[in-house]
Amino acid sequence: MTIADPSPQSTRLPFNIAALVFVRERGIIVLWVLLLIFFAIYDHPYFASVSNFLLILNAASLTAVFAAGVGIGAISGTLDLSVAGVAAFSSVVAGKLIILGYPVWLALIAGMSVGILAGFVNGLITRRGLNPLVVTIGTLSMLSGLAAVVADGYTIPGLSKLTFMGTARYFGIPAHVYIVTVVYLIGTIFLTKTRDGIRLVAVGGNPEAVRRVGINSARYQLLGFVLCGACSALGGLMTAALVTEASPQANPGSIFEALTAVALSGVSLGGGRGSLPKVFVGAAILATISNGLTIAGVPPYWATVTTGVLLISALVIDRTLTRTISERLVVMSGHISHPKKP
Amino acid sequence: MTTPALNLSNIELHYGFVRALDSVNFHVNPGEIVGLLGDNGAGKSTLLKVMSGAHRPTTGKIEVNGRELHFHTPKDASDAGIQMVYQDLSLVEAQDIATNLQLGREQLRPFPFNLFGIVDHGAMQRSSAAQLDRLGVRTAPMTRPVEMLSGGQRQVIAISRAAVRVMEGNKTGHNGIILLDEPTAALGYEQTRLVEGLILKMAQEGIAIVLVTHNLPLCFKVADRIVVLNRGRKVADVRKNDTDNDSVVGWITGAKAAEVTA
Ligand SMILES: Nc1ncnc2c1ncn2[C@@H]1O[C@H](COP(=O)(O)OP(=O)(O)OP(=O)(O)O)[C@@H](O)[C@H]1O
Ligand SMILES: [Mg+2]
Repeated sequence: MTIADPSPQSTRLPFNIAALVFVRERGIIVLWVLLLIFFAIYDHPYFASVSNFLLILNAASLTAVFAAGVGIGAISGTLDLSVAGVAAFSSVVAGKLIILGYPVWLALIAGMSVGILAGFVNGLITRRGLNPLVVTIGTLSMLSGLAAVVADGYTIPGLSKLTFMGTARYFGIPAHVYIVTVVYLIGTIFLTKTRDGIRLVAVGGNPEAVRRVGINSARYQLLGFVLCGACSALGGLMTAALVTEASPQANPGSIFEALTAVALSGVSLGGGRGSLPKVFVGAAILATISNGLTIAGVPPYWATVTTGVLLISALVIDRTLTRTISERLVVMSGHISHPKKP
Repeated sequence: MTTPALNLSNIELHYGFVRALDSVNFHVNPGEIVGLLGDNGAGKSTLLKVMSGAHRPTTGKIEVNGRELHFHTPKDASDAGIQMVYQDLSLVEAQDIATNLQLGREQLRPFPFNLFGIVDHGAMQRSSAAQLDRLGVRTAPMTRPVEMLSGGQRQVIAISRAAVRVMEGNKTGHNGIILLDEPTAALGYEQTRLVEGLILKMAQEGIAIVLVTHNLPLCFKVADRIVVLNRGRKVADVRKNDTDNDSVVGWITGAKAAEVTA
């Protein structure tokens, strides 16, 4: 006896649904390409060059690193808003150590460690059943306060020892682009190819289901916070390296840009869904718009307006597509429910 | 007489002052399908939770394949070859069939990739397909996300996963026990038929099955024996062929006197 669906449709999606799924899954990439083409024509001949493309990637890198943290957090089912505080605190810790004469590698490890620790603490507190938004807003203000304490309230200047991971270029490619490439490569492999990564995504989608097969869901939720903390710290260190100083002031702009990139990429803020490469494309779109409009001589605030419009349209389109797809699928399974008996 | 796969004797369970189960005796044999019926609040889910280790009874004895066991957690029950399938929330919607089937026992790529926990998606898809084949289930490609499946297909996947786990984790000397709590509650006619076929197939494989349902036609179609609870007490335990719809309804509503024949 075979428990088979009586409908042949069940093994292959009809073309129109497959097309809608494609638009939902790949639309963001198409959008980026369209933007690149648009600006290449609009800003001719200043936009379409290798060096300008590298500028865009470089500008996207910082946002992309923060967005990787926020994105991994969101995929694992939490929203960590402490990103900017963690970034400020780790950069100040590393900066202080460098000023005190400790070796750069030690300072960087210390900076990364406090970020990871912050993520761990966020995760542990949230485990008590508290709302992650509120908890991480709390740690955000706590950490930026602590950063000011460490830095005596002032920006720590003279961190030229960090330029190797700031303004430096290798083979003509900015240091940040290398860093972001490594982060996204490792992150993507982790989320899609490793057991822990796949479970992390699963926990974001349905913690109860994961618990029921005997996996400790809470451990993976904690891991989401830790990875977000690590990315935030890295972003903080990259920022310090870029401007060769460490500011204890948390920059709220970083979290908003990161969130925009994440939402643009279609990562569900409810968890369980999303892909890192698309988060990068989200960050790249923000940088492309700002770059393209600047070249065209459009005042920078228009870039902000455009970004907002894009974000909201992306959400609306995504929602519409998802609804249409599931409606079509219901119609389809309607065929399955009433097969023609031979 | 065969040793029951699962045998409960004199089970009592109190929720505070509510006595949800009142000295219930219950057993299910290997390959047997027992329909567990009762009105809302009769104690069906509570009894299933005792069997699955989610609740500890206040008093009573649980034997699996003739050996007395004490379940402290659902893991103890699942180690003893008992799997519960919940009506909802058992699959990760955005992930594909293979990932859902292998969740918690993902296969890794060979050395050195296993050191990094790199999974073998191909192997996972192949074993998923083989497992579903063995159960005679053909739904959709293994790479299809669960959210794109119909309700019946999803339920079939969730139940198959439980079946695979009891069949493969078979160090227990019996064929496993599957507990189903209203597996067809949200399903239409044809979808229910999918689940029905799978239940019969699992019984053929020797798995003992406890089926909680409000769907009497389904129960009469698949069950070998019918047990009815009424306010925490067992009021009927009869072979399906020895009873009829009206009697069962009588027991469920309390209109008919208790009868334990099986
Ligand atoms: N966690 C709980 N705490 C207190 N009382 C409970 C709890 N769970 C169930 N009960 C009570 O125990 C009794 C049996 O409930 P149970 O859920 O087992 O019924 P059921 O037969 O599964 O009903 P249904 O058909 O509605 O699912 C009911 O009176 C219910 O109110
Ligand atoms: Mg119930």
